[in-house]
Amino acid sequence: MLKKSPWVIHYDASSCNGCDIEVLACLMPTFDVERLGIVNAGNPKHADIFLVTGSVNEANKKIIQNIYNQMPDPKVVVAVGICACTGGIFAECYNVAGGIDKILPVDVYVAGCAARPEAIIEGVAKGLAVLEEKKKKLDSMAKGLEELTVVRAELADAPEILEVQKLAYQSEAEIYNDYSLSPLRQTLEELQADFQKQIFFKAVMNNTIVGSVRVHMDGTSCYIGRITVSPVYQNMGIGKKLLKEVESSFDAALRYELFTSHKSKRNIFLLEHLGYSWFKREKVSETRERIYFEKKNKKG
Amino acid sequence: MSKVLFIISFLIIAPLLGALLSGIDRKITARLQGRVGPSIFQAFYDVLKLLEKETLVVRRSQNFYIVFFLILVIFTTGLFAAGANILLVIFALTLSSVFFVLAGYKASSPYSFIGSQRELIQVVSYEPAVILMAIGMYMVTRSFNIGDIANYSRPLALPLAGLLVAFIYILAIKLRKSPFDLSTSHHAHQELVKGITTEFSGKALAMIEVAHWYENIIALSFVYLFFAYNPLIGVLAAVIAYLFMIVVDNSFARVKWQKAFTSSWLVAFIFGVVNIIVLSYFIK
Repeated sequence: MLKKSPWVIHYDASSCNGCDIEVLACLMPTFDVERLGIVNAGNPKHADIFLVTGSVNEANKKIIQNIYNQMPDPKVVVAVGICACTGGIFAECYNVAGGIDKILPVDVYVAGCAARPEAIIEGVAKGLAVLEEKKKKLDSMAKGLEELTVVRAELADAPEILEVQKLAYQSEAEIYNDYSLSPLRQTLEELQADFQKQIFFKAVMNNTIVGSVRVHMDGTSCYIGRITVSPVYQNMGIGKKLLKEVESSFDAALRYELFTSHKSKRNIFLLEHLGYSWFKREKVSETRERIYFEKKNKKG
Repeated sequence: MSKVLFIISFLIIAPLLGALLSGIDRKITARLQGRVGPSIFQAFYDVLKLLEKETLVVRRSQNFYIVFFLILVIFTTGLFAAGANILLVIFALTLSSVFFVLAGYKASSPYSFIGSQRELIQVVSYEPAVILMAIGMYMVTRSFNIGDIANYSRPLALPLAGLLVAFIYILAIKLRKSPFDLSTSHHAHQELVKGITTEFSGKALAMIEVAHWYENIIALSFVYLFFAYNPLIGVLAAVIAYLFMIVVDNSFARVKWQKAFTSSWLVAFIFGVVNIIVLSYFIK
Protein backbone atom coordinates (compact mmCIF):
# COMPACT_ATOMS: atom_id res chain seq x y z
CA MET A 1 0.00 0.00 0.00
CA LEU A 2 3.03 2.27 0.22
CA LYS A 3 2.68 2.88 -3.49
CA LYS A 4 -0.85 4.18 -3.30
CA SER A 5 -0.44 6.84 -0.67
CA PRO A 6 2.93 8.57 -0.72
CA TRP A 7 2.96 11.61 1.52
CA VAL A 8 5.57 14.15 0.63
CA ILE A 9 7.49 16.69 2.63
CA HIS A 10 9.06 19.46 0.61
CA TYR A 11 12.05 21.41 1.88
CA ASP A 12 13.58 24.40 0.17
CA ALA A 13 17.33 24.29 0.81
CA SER A 14 19.19 27.18 -0.80
CA SER A 15 17.02 27.03 -3.89
CA CYS A 16 16.27 30.02 -6.13
CA ASN A 17 12.56 29.06 -5.76
CA GLY A 18 12.36 27.98 -9.41
CA CYS A 19 12.09 24.29 -8.49
CA ASP A 20 9.85 25.07 -5.50
CA ILE A 21 7.30 26.71 -7.73
CA GLU A 22 7.42 23.67 -10.02
CA VAL A 23 6.90 21.38 -7.02
CA LEU A 24 3.85 23.41 -6.04
CA ALA A 25 2.68 23.37 -9.66
CA CYS A 26 2.42 19.58 -9.31
CA LEU A 27 -0.28 20.06 -6.68
CA MET A 28 -2.28 22.43 -8.91
CA PRO A 29 -5.17 21.36 -11.18
CA THR A 30 -3.02 20.95 -14.31
CA PHE A 31 -0.94 18.14 -12.84
CA ASP A 32 -2.90 17.30 -9.67
CA VAL A 33 -0.68 14.72 -8.01
CA GLU A 34 -3.40 14.04 -5.44
CA ARG A 35 -5.01 11.71 -7.98
CA LEU A 36 -2.03 9.44 -7.30
CA GLY A 37 -2.66 9.82 -3.58
CA ILE A 38 0.28 12.18 -3.16
CA VAL A 39 -0.27 14.74 -0.40
CA ASN A 40 2.06 17.53 0.67
CA ALA A 41 2.19 16.59 4.35
CA GLY A 42 4.26 19.45 5.73
CA ASN A 43 5.21 17.27 8.69
CA PRO A 44 8.27 15.02 8.56
CA LYS A 45 6.65 12.50 10.93
CA HIS A 46 3.82 11.91 8.47
CA ALA A 47 5.95 11.90 5.34
CA ASP A 48 7.28 9.05 3.20
CA ILE A 49 9.12 11.03 0.56
CA PHE A 50 11.53 13.89 1.20
CA LEU A 51 11.63 16.32 -1.73
CA VAL A 52 14.60 18.65 -1.46
CA THR A 53 15.24 21.52 -3.81
CA GLY A 54 18.41 23.58 -3.89
CA SER A 55 21.89 22.86 -2.62
CA VAL A 56 23.18 22.21 0.86
CA ASN A 57 24.77 25.16 2.61
CA GLU A 58 26.32 25.49 6.03
CA ALA A 59 23.17 26.96 7.58
CA ASN A 60 20.68 24.33 6.43
CA LYS A 61 22.86 21.22 6.78
CA LYS A 62 21.51 20.47 10.25
CA ILE A 63 17.91 21.25 9.27
CA ILE A 64 17.99 18.83 6.36
CA GLN A 65 19.46 16.09 8.53
CA ASN A 66 16.93 16.81 11.24
CA ILE A 67 13.97 16.53 8.86
CA TYR A 68 15.37 13.28 7.48
CA ASN A 69 15.90 11.81 10.96
CA GLN A 70 12.35 12.66 11.98
CA MET A 71 10.80 10.74 9.10
CA PRO A 72 9.60 7.23 9.96
CA ASP A 73 11.04 4.32 7.97
CA PRO A 74 10.75 3.36 5.15
CA LYS A 75 11.59 6.72 3.59
CA VAL A 76 12.98 8.03 0.32
CA VAL A 77 14.94 11.16 -0.56
CA VAL A 78 14.34 12.79 -3.94
CA ALA A 79 16.72 15.55 -4.99
CA VAL A 80 14.81 17.93 -7.26
CA GLY A 81 16.72 20.11 -9.69
CA ILE A 82 20.35 20.38 -10.63
CA CYS A 83 21.28 22.31 -7.46
CA ALA A 84 19.95 19.51 -5.26
CA CYS A 85 21.77 16.93 -7.40
CA THR A 86 25.23 18.49 -7.57
CA GLY A 87 25.13 22.05 -6.31
CA GLY A 88 24.55 23.33 -9.84
CA ILE A 89 25.86 26.79 -10.64
CA PHE A 90 26.27 27.44 -6.91
CA ALA A 91 28.57 24.44 -6.41
CA GLU A 92 31.68 26.59 -6.05
CA CYS A 93 30.21 29.16 -3.66
CA TYR A 94 32.09 29.46 -0.38
CA ASN A 95 29.00 28.63 1.67
CA VAL A 96 27.72 25.74 -0.46
CA ALA A 97 28.63 22.17 0.43
CA GLY A 98 27.21 20.71 -2.78
CA GLY A 99 24.29 18.42 -3.61
CA ILE A 100 22.01 16.78 -1.08
CA ASP A 101 23.96 13.52 -1.39
CA LYS A 102 26.79 15.17 0.53
CA ILE A 103 24.79 14.66 3.72
CA LEU A 104 21.89 12.30 2.97
CA PRO A 105 21.53 9.07 0.99
CA VAL A 106 19.68 10.31 -2.11
CA ASP A 107 17.53 7.67 -3.86
CA VAL A 108 16.30 9.55 -6.91
CA TYR A 109 17.85 12.48 -8.79
CA VAL A 110 15.58 14.73 -10.83
CA ALA A 111 17.51 16.82 -13.35
CA GLY A 112 16.55 20.22 -14.71
CA CYS A 113 16.87 23.92 -14.01
CA ALA A 114 14.16 24.30 -13.06
CA ALA A 115 12.97 20.68 -12.91
CA ARG A 116 9.75 20.32 -14.89
CA PRO A 117 6.61 19.14 -13.05
CA GLU A 118 6.46 16.04 -15.26
CA ALA A 119 10.02 15.20 -14.25
CA ILE A 120 9.23 15.74 -10.56
CA ILE A 121 6.21 13.44 -10.78
CA GLU A 122 8.33 10.83 -12.50
CA GLY A 123 10.96 11.22 -9.78
CA VAL A 124 8.36 10.61 -7.07
CA ALA A 125 7.02 7.61 -8.99
CA LYS A 126 10.58 6.18 -9.17
CA GLY A 127 10.89 6.89 -5.46
CA LEU A 128 7.84 4.71 -4.82
CA ALA A 129 9.63 1.67 -6.23
CA VAL A 130 12.56 2.41 -3.91
CA LEU A 131 10.11 2.75 -1.02
CA GLU A 132 8.74 -0.76 -1.64
CA GLU A 133 12.27 -2.11 -1.87
CA LYS A 134 13.23 -0.49 1.43
CA LYS A 135 10.14 -1.92 3.08
CA LYS A 136 11.21 -5.40 1.97
CA LYS A 137 14.69 -4.77 3.33
CA LEU A 138 13.28 -3.62 6.68
CA ASP A 139 11.11 -6.72 6.90
CA SER A 140 14.05 -8.99 6.17
CA MET A 141 16.07 -7.10 8.77
CA ALA A 142 13.39 -7.76 11.37
CA LYS A 143 13.51 -11.43 10.39
CA GLY A 144 17.31 -11.34 10.40
CA LEU A 145 17.32 -10.44 14.07
CA GLU A 146 16.11 -13.93 14.85
CA GLU A 147 18.84 -15.32 12.65
CA LEU A 148 21.54 -13.22 14.31
CA THR A 149 24.58 -15.35 14.99
CA VAL A 150 27.69 -14.56 17.01
CA VAL A 151 30.78 -16.51 15.92
CA ARG A 152 34.58 -16.29 15.99
CA ALA A 153 35.89 -13.85 13.38
CA GLU A 154 38.79 -14.62 11.05
CA LEU A 155 41.51 -12.43 9.64
CA ALA A 156 39.55 -12.11 6.40
CA ASP A 157 36.79 -10.31 8.29
CA ALA A 158 39.14 -7.50 9.33
CA PRO A 159 38.17 -4.94 6.63
CA GLU A 160 34.47 -5.34 7.30
CA ILE A 161 34.95 -5.17 11.07
CA LEU A 162 36.97 -1.97 10.67
CA GLU A 163 34.25 -0.41 8.56
CA VAL A 164 31.58 -1.17 11.17
CA GLN A 165 33.88 0.08 13.93
CA LYS A 166 34.35 3.44 12.22
CA LEU A 167 30.61 3.85 11.74
CA ALA A 168 29.80 2.80 15.28
CA TYR A 169 32.24 5.17 16.93
CA GLN A 170 30.83 8.21 15.11
CA SER A 171 28.19 8.65 17.78
CA GLU A 172 30.82 8.42 20.52
CA ALA A 173 32.91 11.04 18.77
CA GLU A 174 29.84 13.26 18.56
CA ILE A 175 29.17 12.99 22.30
CA TYR A 176 32.68 14.17 23.22
CA ASN A 177 33.20 16.32 20.12
CA ASP A 178 36.49 14.50 19.69
CA TYR A 179 37.09 12.91 16.30
CA SER A 180 40.56 11.70 17.25
CA LEU A 181 39.32 8.65 19.16
CA SER A 182 41.67 5.74 18.55
CA PRO A 183 38.97 3.39 17.12
CA LEU A 184 38.30 5.98 14.43
CA ARG A 185 41.95 6.32 13.49
CA GLN A 186 42.86 2.65 13.45
CA THR A 187 44.23 1.37 10.16
CA LEU A 188 43.59 -2.00 8.60
CA GLU A 189 47.17 -3.12 9.32
CA GLU A 190 46.80 -2.27 12.99
CA LEU A 191 43.54 -4.16 13.20
CA GLN A 192 45.08 -7.17 11.48
CA ALA A 193 47.92 -7.02 13.99
CA ASP A 194 45.31 -7.10 16.78
CA PHE A 195 44.21 -10.48 15.48
CA GLN A 196 47.56 -11.89 16.67
CA LYS A 197 46.95 -10.82 20.26
CA GLN A 198 43.19 -10.95 20.62
CA ILE A 199 40.26 -13.15 19.78
CA PHE A 200 37.53 -11.51 17.71
CA PHE A 201 33.83 -12.31 17.70
CA LYS A 202 31.48 -11.03 15.03
CA ALA A 203 27.70 -10.63 15.00
CA VAL A 204 26.34 -11.64 11.59
CA MET A 205 22.93 -10.81 10.18
CA ASN A 206 21.85 -11.45 6.57
CA ASN A 207 25.46 -12.40 5.74
CA THR A 208 26.78 -8.98 6.80
CA ILE A 209 28.79 -8.15 9.88
CA VAL A 210 26.78 -5.81 12.10
CA GLY A 211 28.96 -5.83 15.20
CA SER A 212 32.11 -7.15 16.78
CA VAL A 213 34.00 -7.50 20.04
CA ARG A 214 37.61 -8.40 20.88
CA VAL A 215 38.86 -10.34 23.89
CA HIS A 216 42.13 -11.44 25.42
CA MET A 217 43.01 -13.39 28.54
CA ASP A 218 45.63 -12.23 30.98
CA GLY A 219 46.07 -14.60 33.90
CA THR A 220 42.62 -15.24 35.29
CA SER A 221 41.18 -11.98 33.97
CA CYS A 222 39.35 -11.70 30.70
CA TYR A 223 39.72 -8.29 29.02
CA ILE A 224 36.93 -7.25 26.68
CA GLY A 225 37.42 -4.43 24.22
CA ARG A 226 35.54 -2.35 21.66
CA ILE A 227 32.03 -3.66 21.54
CA THR A 228 30.87 -2.16 18.26
CA VAL A 229 27.44 -2.29 16.69
CA SER A 230 26.62 -0.73 13.34
CA PRO A 231 24.43 2.38 13.89
CA VAL A 232 21.44 1.03 11.97
CA TYR A 233 21.33 -2.08 14.14
CA GLN A 234 21.73 -0.43 17.52
CA ASN A 235 19.08 -0.84 20.24
CA MET A 236 18.32 -4.36 19.05
CA GLY A 237 20.17 -6.24 21.74
CA ILE A 238 23.20 -7.10 19.60
CA GLY A 239 25.70 -5.68 22.10
CA LYS A 240 24.14 -7.78 24.82
CA LYS A 241 24.35 -10.89 22.69
CA LEU A 242 28.03 -10.24 21.96
CA LEU A 243 28.85 -9.85 25.65
CA LYS A 244 26.94 -12.99 26.60
CA GLU A 245 28.79 -14.94 23.94
CA VAL A 246 32.14 -13.76 25.30
CA GLU A 247 31.17 -14.69 28.84
CA SER A 248 30.09 -18.19 27.86
CA SER A 249 33.18 -18.78 25.69
CA PHE A 250 35.53 -17.68 28.46
CA ASP A 251 33.80 -19.21 31.45
CA ALA A 252 37.18 -20.28 32.85
CA ALA A 253 38.01 -16.64 33.62
CA LEU A 254 37.53 -15.44 37.20
CA ARG A 255 36.65 -11.89 36.23
CA TYR A 256 35.74 -9.87 33.15
CA GLU A 257 36.96 -6.34 32.71
CA LEU A 258 36.17 -3.61 30.22
CA PHE A 259 35.93 0.16 30.07
CA THR A 260 33.74 2.80 28.50
CA SER A 261 33.68 6.60 28.51
CA HIS A 262 31.77 8.46 31.19
CA LYS A 263 29.14 10.13 29.02
CA SER A 264 28.22 6.99 27.08
CA LYS A 265 25.03 6.43 29.03
CA ARG A 266 23.77 3.59 26.84
CA ASN A 267 26.91 1.51 27.34
CA ILE A 268 26.87 2.11 31.09
CA PHE A 269 23.21 1.18 31.26
CA LEU A 270 23.82 -2.03 29.34
CA LEU A 271 26.78 -3.01 31.50
CA GLU A 272 24.97 -2.39 34.76
CA HIS A 273 22.01 -4.31 33.40
CA LEU A 274 24.28 -7.29 32.75
CA GLY A 275 25.68 -7.25 36.29
CA TYR A 276 28.88 -5.26 35.78
CA SER A 277 29.95 -2.71 38.36
CA TRP A 278 32.53 0.05 38.02
CA PHE A 279 35.68 0.07 40.10
CA LYS A 280 37.98 2.69 38.61
CA ARG A 281 37.75 6.07 36.86
CA GLU A 282 40.56 7.54 34.85
CA LYS A 283 40.89 10.86 33.02
CA VAL A 284 42.06 10.43 29.43
CA SER A 285 41.54 13.98 28.19
CA GLU A 286 40.03 17.30 29.28
CA THR A 287 36.55 16.22 28.35
CA ARG A 288 36.63 12.46 28.61
CA GLU A 289 36.87 10.03 31.49
CA ARG A 290 37.19 6.28 31.26
CA ILE A 291 35.15 4.13 33.61
CA TYR A 292 36.41 0.60 34.20
CA PHE A 293 33.80 -2.07 34.81
CA GLU A 294 34.25 -5.57 36.12
CA LYS A 295 32.17 -8.64 36.77
CA LYS A 296 33.20 -11.64 38.85
CA ASN A 297 32.52 -15.01 37.33
CA LYS A 298 30.15 -16.81 39.65
CA LYS A 299 31.41 -20.24 38.59
CA GLY A 300 35.01 -19.27 39.37
CA MET B 1 -30.04 -11.44 19.73
CA SER B 2 -30.87 -9.40 16.66
CA LYS B 3 -29.93 -6.29 18.66
CA VAL B 4 -26.45 -7.65 19.37
CA LEU B 5 -26.08 -8.53 15.72
CA PHE B 6 -27.15 -5.01 14.77
CA ILE B 7 -24.61 -3.43 17.14
CA ILE B 8 -21.76 -5.60 15.85
CA SER B 9 -22.62 -4.96 12.21
CA PHE B 10 -22.92 -1.24 12.92
CA LEU B 11 -19.48 -1.25 14.56
CA ILE B 12 -18.01 -2.93 11.48
CA ILE B 13 -19.87 -0.91 8.86
CA ALA B 14 -19.42 2.50 10.53
CA PRO B 15 -15.65 2.85 9.94
CA LEU B 16 -15.92 1.47 6.40
CA LEU B 17 -18.66 3.98 5.66
CA GLY B 18 -16.66 6.74 7.36
CA ALA B 19 -13.62 5.94 5.22
CA LEU B 20 -15.70 5.88 2.06
CA LEU B 21 -17.27 9.22 3.02
CA SER B 22 -13.86 10.80 3.53
CA GLY B 23 -12.76 9.39 0.16
CA ILE B 24 -15.85 10.89 -1.48
CA ASP B 25 -15.14 14.13 0.39
CA ARG B 26 -11.66 14.32 -1.14
CA LYS B 27 -13.01 13.53 -4.58
CA ILE B 28 -15.71 16.20 -4.41
CA THR B 29 -13.26 18.71 -2.95
CA ALA B 30 -10.91 18.04 -5.86
CA ARG B 31 -13.73 18.47 -8.37
CA LEU B 32 -14.76 21.75 -6.74
CA GLN B 33 -11.18 22.93 -7.25
CA GLY B 34 -11.07 21.74 -10.86
CA ARG B 35 -8.82 18.74 -10.13
CA VAL B 36 -9.25 15.05 -10.81
CA GLY B 37 -8.77 14.00 -7.20
CA PRO B 38 -7.76 10.70 -5.64
CA SER B 39 -9.64 7.42 -5.69
CA ILE B 40 -12.62 7.25 -3.34
CA PHE B 41 -10.82 4.41 -1.54
CA GLN B 42 -7.87 6.70 -0.79
CA ALA B 43 -8.66 6.80 2.94
CA PHE B 44 -8.24 3.00 3.10
CA TYR B 45 -4.96 3.19 1.21
CA ASP B 46 -3.68 5.87 3.60
CA VAL B 47 -4.44 3.87 6.71
CA LEU B 48 -3.08 0.62 5.26
CA LYS B 49 0.10 2.46 4.38
CA LEU B 50 0.39 3.95 7.87
CA LEU B 51 0.20 0.44 9.30
CA GLU B 52 3.28 -0.46 7.28
CA LYS B 53 5.27 2.51 8.55
CA GLU B 54 7.50 2.80 11.56
CA THR B 55 5.80 4.25 14.65
CA LEU B 56 7.96 7.05 16.00
CA VAL B 57 7.22 8.42 19.45
CA VAL B 58 8.43 11.23 21.66
CA ARG B 59 7.21 9.30 24.68
CA ARG B 60 5.94 5.76 24.48
CA SER B 61 2.90 6.58 26.65
CA GLN B 62 1.51 8.99 24.05
CA ASN B 63 0.22 6.08 21.95
CA PHE B 64 -1.35 4.53 25.03
CA TYR B 65 -3.79 7.45 25.18
CA ILE B 66 -4.53 7.05 21.48
CA VAL B 67 -5.54 3.43 22.07
CA PHE B 68 -8.02 4.65 24.71
CA PHE B 69 -9.24 7.36 22.35
CA LEU B 70 -10.04 4.73 19.73
CA ILE B 71 -11.61 2.32 22.23
CA LEU B 72 -13.86 5.05 23.64
CA VAL B 73 -14.94 6.19 20.20
CA ILE B 74 -15.85 2.61 19.31
CA PHE B 75 -17.63 2.30 22.67
CA THR B 76 -19.63 5.46 21.90
CA THR B 77 -20.60 4.11 18.51
CA GLY B 78 -21.72 0.88 20.18
CA LEU B 79 -23.81 2.83 22.70
CA PHE B 80 -25.41 4.74 19.87
CA ALA B 81 -26.24 1.58 17.98
CA ALA B 82 -27.63 0.01 21.16
CA GLY B 83 -30.02 2.94 21.54
CA ALA B 84 -28.59 3.89 24.93
CA ASN B 85 -29.01 7.13 26.83
CA ILE B 86 -28.13 10.10 24.62
CA LEU B 87 -26.42 11.91 27.51
CA LEU B 88 -24.18 8.89 28.08
CA VAL B 89 -23.28 8.90 24.38
CA ILE B 90 -22.41 12.59 24.52
CA PHE B 91 -20.24 12.18 27.62
CA ALA B 92 -18.48 9.09 26.27
CA LEU B 93 -17.71 11.03 23.11
CA THR B 94 -16.36 13.93 25.17
CA LEU B 95 -14.25 11.56 27.21
CA SER B 96 -12.72 10.16 24.04
CA SER B 97 -11.80 13.70 22.97
CA VAL B 98 -10.21 14.22 26.37
CA PHE B 99 -7.97 11.20 25.81
CA PHE B 100 -7.02 12.58 22.41
CA VAL B 101 -6.12 15.90 24.02
CA LEU B 102 -4.09 14.13 26.71
CA ALA B 103 -2.20 12.28 24.01
CA GLY B 104 -1.42 15.59 22.32
CA TYR B 105 -0.18 17.06 25.60
CA LYS B 106 1.86 13.96 26.35
CA ALA B 107 3.70 14.25 23.06
CA SER B 108 5.11 17.54 24.42
CA SER B 109 5.98 19.39 21.27
CA PRO B 110 4.98 23.05 20.90
CA TYR B 111 2.82 22.21 17.88
CA SER B 112 0.86 19.41 19.48
CA PHE B 113 0.56 21.56 22.63
CA ILE B 114 -1.18 24.36 20.77
CA GLY B 115 -3.17 21.77 18.83
CA SER B 116 -4.33 20.19 22.12
CA GLN B 117 -5.32 23.54 23.55
CA ARG B 118 -7.34 24.30 20.45
CA GLU B 119 -8.93 20.86 20.56
CA LEU B 120 -10.05 21.61 24.12
CA ILE B 121 -11.49 24.93 23.00
CA GLN B 122 -13.31 23.13 20.21
CA VAL B 123 -14.78 20.64 22.68
CA VAL B 124 -15.97 23.51 24.85
CA SER B 125 -17.37 25.27 21.76
CA TYR B 126 -19.54 22.42 20.51
CA GLU B 127 -20.66 21.03 23.85
CA PRO B 128 -23.54 23.51 24.58
CA ALA B 129 -25.22 22.87 21.24
CA VAL B 130 -24.95 19.10 21.70
CA ILE B 131 -26.33 19.12 25.25
CA LEU B 132 -29.14 21.53 24.32
CA MET B 133 -29.97 19.15 21.48
CA ALA B 134 -30.30 16.28 23.97
CA ILE B 135 -32.56 18.42 26.18
CA GLY B 136 -34.72 19.45 23.22
CA MET B 137 -35.09 15.85 22.10
CA TYR B 138 -36.11 14.89 25.62
CA MET B 139 -38.73 17.63 25.77
CA VAL B 140 -40.38 16.41 22.59
CA THR B 141 -40.07 12.64 22.99
CA ARG B 142 -40.06 12.46 26.82
CA SER B 143 -37.08 10.12 26.73
CA PHE B 144 -33.30 10.39 26.76
CA ASN B 145 -32.96 6.98 25.14
CA ILE B 146 -31.73 7.08 21.57
CA GLY B 147 -33.88 4.01 20.88
CA ASP B 148 -37.03 5.92 21.84
CA ILE B 149 -35.93 9.08 20.08
CA ALA B 150 -35.30 7.17 16.85
CA ASN B 151 -38.70 5.49 17.10
CA TYR B 152 -40.57 8.76 17.62
CA SER B 153 -43.33 8.86 15.03
CA ARG B 154 -43.13 12.51 13.97
CA PRO B 155 -40.18 14.45 12.51
CA LEU B 156 -38.08 15.99 15.29
CA ALA B 157 -36.64 18.53 12.89
CA LEU B 158 -39.87 20.58 12.93
CA PRO B 159 -40.16 21.34 16.65
CA LEU B 160 -36.34 21.37 16.99
CA ALA B 161 -35.51 23.47 13.91
CA GLY B 162 -33.43 25.93 15.93
CA LEU B 163 -31.44 23.14 17.55
CA LEU B 164 -30.86 21.56 14.15
CA VAL B 165 -29.35 24.85 12.94
CA ALA B 166 -27.16 25.02 16.05
CA PHE B 167 -26.03 21.41 15.55
CA ILE B 168 -25.27 21.88 11.84
CA TYR B 169 -23.20 24.91 12.83
CA ILE B 170 -20.98 22.88 15.16
CA LEU B 171 -20.92 19.92 12.76
CA ALA B 172 -17.96 21.62 11.08
CA ILE B 173 -16.03 21.31 14.34
CA LYS B 174 -16.88 17.63 14.77
CA LEU B 175 -16.00 16.80 11.16
CA ARG B 176 -12.79 18.90 11.39
CA LYS B 177 -13.78 21.13 8.50
CA SER B 178 -12.93 24.71 7.66
CA PRO B 179 -13.67 27.27 9.11
CA PHE B 180 -13.28 25.35 12.39
CA ASP B 181 -10.42 22.91 11.71
CA LEU B 182 -8.25 24.64 14.27
CA SER B 183 -6.61 21.75 16.09
CA THR B 184 -5.76 19.65 13.05
CA SER B 185 -7.03 19.26 9.52
CA HIS B 186 -6.85 16.51 6.99
CA HIS B 187 -6.15 18.61 3.97
CA ALA B 188 -2.81 19.94 2.96
CA HIS B 189 -3.54 23.16 4.83
CA GLN B 190 -0.39 23.70 6.75
CA GLU B 191 -0.96 25.35 10.05
CA LEU B 192 0.94 24.45 13.21
CA VAL B 193 2.63 21.73 11.15
CA LYS B 194 -0.24 19.29 11.78
CA GLY B 195 -1.59 20.50 15.10
CA ILE B 196 -2.48 17.88 17.64
CA THR B 197 -1.44 14.95 15.41
CA THR B 198 2.04 16.36 14.68
CA GLU B 199 3.92 13.87 16.84
CA PHE B 200 1.98 10.77 15.83
CA SER B 201 3.11 8.49 13.06
CA GLY B 202 2.63 4.96 11.77
CA LYS B 203 0.15 2.84 13.69
CA ALA B 204 -0.81 5.61 16.13
CA LEU B 205 -1.75 7.92 13.26
CA ALA B 206 -3.68 5.07 11.63
CA MET B 207 -5.64 4.65 14.87
CA ILE B 208 -6.43 8.38 14.94
CA GLU B 209 -7.70 8.14 11.36
CA VAL B 210 -9.93 5.16 12.14
CA ALA B 211 -11.27 6.92 15.24
CA HIS B 212 -12.04 9.91 13.05
CA TRP B 213 -14.06 7.72 10.67
CA TYR B 214 -16.13 6.58 13.64
CA GLU B 215 -16.50 10.17 14.91
CA ASN B 216 -17.82 11.32 11.53
CA ILE B 217 -20.43 8.60 11.55
CA ILE B 218 -21.49 9.47 15.12
CA ALA B 219 -21.82 13.15 14.20
CA LEU B 220 -23.90 12.32 11.13
CA SER B 221 -25.99 9.88 13.19
CA PHE B 222 -27.07 12.82 15.35
CA VAL B 223 -28.29 14.56 12.20
CA TYR B 224 -30.12 11.35 11.32
CA LEU B 225 -31.93 11.45 14.70
CA PHE B 226 -33.62 14.71 13.72
CA PHE B 227 -35.27 12.94 10.77
CA ALA B 228 -35.50 9.43 12.20
CA TYR B 229 -39.29 9.19 11.75
CA ASN B 230 -38.50 8.02 8.23
CA PRO B 231 -35.13 6.20 7.95
CA LEU B 232 -34.79 7.04 4.27
CA ILE B 233 -35.25 10.76 4.86
CA GLY B 234 -32.92 10.48 7.86
CA VAL B 235 -30.08 9.02 5.79
CA LEU B 236 -30.77 11.56 3.05
CA ALA B 237 -30.58 14.39 5.57
CA ALA B 238 -27.26 13.09 6.91
CA VAL B 239 -25.84 12.85 3.39
CA ILE B 240 -27.05 16.36 2.52
CA ALA B 241 -25.54 17.69 5.76
CA TYR B 242 -22.20 16.08 4.83
CA LEU B 243 -22.27 17.48 1.30
CA PHE B 244 -23.13 20.88 2.73
CA MET B 245 -20.11 20.62 5.02
CA ILE B 246 -17.85 19.82 2.05
CA VAL B 247 -19.06 22.98 0.29
CA VAL B 248 -18.57 25.00 3.47
CA ASP B 249 -15.11 23.48 3.88
CA ASN B 250 -14.12 24.72 0.45
CA SER B 251 -15.74 28.15 0.72
CA PHE B 252 -14.39 29.42 4.03
CA ALA B 253 -10.98 30.27 5.37
CA ARG B 254 -10.04 29.08 8.83
CA VAL B 255 -11.13 31.46 11.61
CA LYS B 256 -9.33 32.29 14.83
CA TRP B 257 -10.26 30.32 17.95
CA GLN B 258 -11.95 33.34 19.56
CA LYS B 259 -14.37 33.55 16.67
CA ALA B 260 -14.96 29.81 16.57
CA PHE B 261 -15.73 29.83 20.28
CA THR B 262 -17.95 32.92 20.52
CA SER B 263 -19.85 32.25 17.31
CA SER B 264 -20.67 28.63 18.14
CA TRP B 265 -21.83 29.61 21.64
CA LEU B 266 -23.87 32.50 20.22
CA VAL B 267 -25.54 30.25 17.65
CA ALA B 268 -26.12 27.57 20.29
CA PHE B 269 -27.72 30.06 22.69
CA ILE B 270 -29.70 32.10 20.20
CA PHE B 271 -31.11 29.20 18.16
CA GLY B 272 -30.92 26.50 20.81
CA VAL B 273 -32.15 28.32 23.90
CA VAL B 274 -34.86 30.19 22.00
CA ASN B 275 -35.98 26.87 20.53
CA ILE B 276 -36.18 25.36 24.02
CA ILE B 277 -38.04 28.36 25.49
CA VAL B 278 -40.59 28.20 22.68
CA LEU B 279 -40.90 24.44 23.18
CA SER B 280 -41.47 24.79 26.92
CA TYR B 281 -44.29 27.22 26.15
CA PHE B 282 -46.07 24.70 23.92
CA ILE B 283 -45.28 21.50 25.80
CA LYS B 284 -46.76 21.42 29.26
